[in-house]
Amino acid sequence: MARTVAKPKRSRRTLTTLVVLVLLSVSIITLSETGRASVLTSGVKSIASDIYSPLRSGVNGVLDPIGRFFAGAVHYGAVEQENEKLRAQIAALQGQRASTRAAQRQYSELQRLLQLDKLPALSSLTEVVAEVTSLTTSDFANTVTIDKGRNDGVSIGDPVVAAGGLAGQIVLSYHHVSTVRLLTDGQSKIGVTFGRGEEATLVGVAAGKPLQVDYVPAATPVSVGEVLTTSGLQGGAFPPGIPVARVTSVRTVVGAADKQITAEPIADLDGLSFVEALVWSGSS
Amino acid sequence: MTARVTIRTLVVVALALLVQSTVMLDIRVAGVSPDVMVVLPVAAGLVAGPVEGAAVGFVAGIAADLLLPTPFGLSALVGTLVGFSVGALTGEAVRYVRGFATLVALVASAASVMLYAVLGAVLGEAQFLRVDLGAVIVVVSVANALLAGPSVRVARWALVPPSEHVQAAGRR
Repeated sequence: MARTVAKPKRSRRTLTTLVVLVLLSVSIITLSETGRASVLTSGVKSIASDIYSPLRSGVNGVLDPIGRFFAGAVHYGAVEQENEKLRAQIAALQGQRASTRAAQRQYSELQRLLQLDKLPALSSLTEVVAEVTSLTTSDFANTVTIDKGRNDGVSIGDPVVAAGGLAGQIVLSYHHVSTVRLLTDGQSKIGVTFGRGEEATLVGVAAGKPLQVDYVPAATPVSVGEVLTTSGLQGGAFPPGIPVARVTSVRTVVGAADKQITAEPIADLDGLSFVEALVWSGSS
Repeated sequence: MTARVTIRTLVVVALALLVQSTVMLDIRVAGVSPDVMVVLPVAAGLVAGPVEGAAVGFVAGIAADLLLPTPFGLSALVGTLVGFSVGALTGEAVRYVRGFATLVALVASAASVMLYAVLGAVLGEAQFLRVDLGAVIVVVSVANALLAGPSVRVARWALVPPSEHVQAAGRR
């Protein structure tokens, strides 16, 4: 009687495939996290971004109405309320000469961006104005993509400001697009000052969650509404004096060495349209 | 994998990536977007078995990681493990049990999100465990459960040769 060997061969092939793919994935992770080899993976990402970004922009123009349809279906109640409000506003605006809401908002956003240029720390820096083209595609990172990259003078580490204050930092920069890690991302840590030169660290938690202010001794006076600005320390990651966040709550736990403080970003991170990347070479 | 299967798989992954970075970003529930890149290896594993599930998971993960600021290769690792596991544990049940694909997509997507968060934390991305993981798991799982049916059909088109379609029809 002949013995069939198909099952053991298939099991070996299955296991081999799994082992090879897992090892390949682990190798890629290891390479991308090490110094030299990360240049290679960064180059691959850059090429992919150059190919994908124009394609995505084109497709987005077609698929945008579909996305908005589903978004409206998910938030139907809120959309209805907003429609009622908008109808009332449209009725009030009739007879006036006015540009569209989107154009007005963008204009005022740009105006507020220009106001930031008057800050002493920023007046000497080169700024690159960029438009936000997309939000992050991951639920585990809070980033946005902007339409300026290395070819436009934007580099990794450059601070990014939006209307009102600091928005984040460039973490990936390709030829024509860059990725901005927002203040609210869990990896964001910014040295800040407040009051009479008190120093602290502003830590992001996650999108939609308040920022945490760490390393503030219990005896330090802090009040709700106080504005936190970049300290310029932290190895010169950010120029000093940029408004970052406003304190929203202060709690002193009996026996604890530090205060528990939360803050919210001054810049409106939910409605970013235009930002400025600051060409910043650190504390040199 | 034949050339036909490879090309069709790459087309499906590319289209899924486009849909994920356009339509899906507009749909946010509790601040969380669905993730269609997670359902691809699940559908591939259900339809074609563990090898194809792992391969599609790897390719889909690499494609997703090209656009993410998170560790490059992490999505590929998770996709490989999830696709393989689904293929190895489910057999042919998707053809004969109603609602099976939906249930598997629900459970596998939840496992995929948790695995991604844990492995990411192990790799130094501690903030992965500080996001609202419950909301991410629920939104991604439910969305993928709803997409399970169409995903299985697309995976069958990409991965199963026409002759096997005929054989399956004959068996029924």
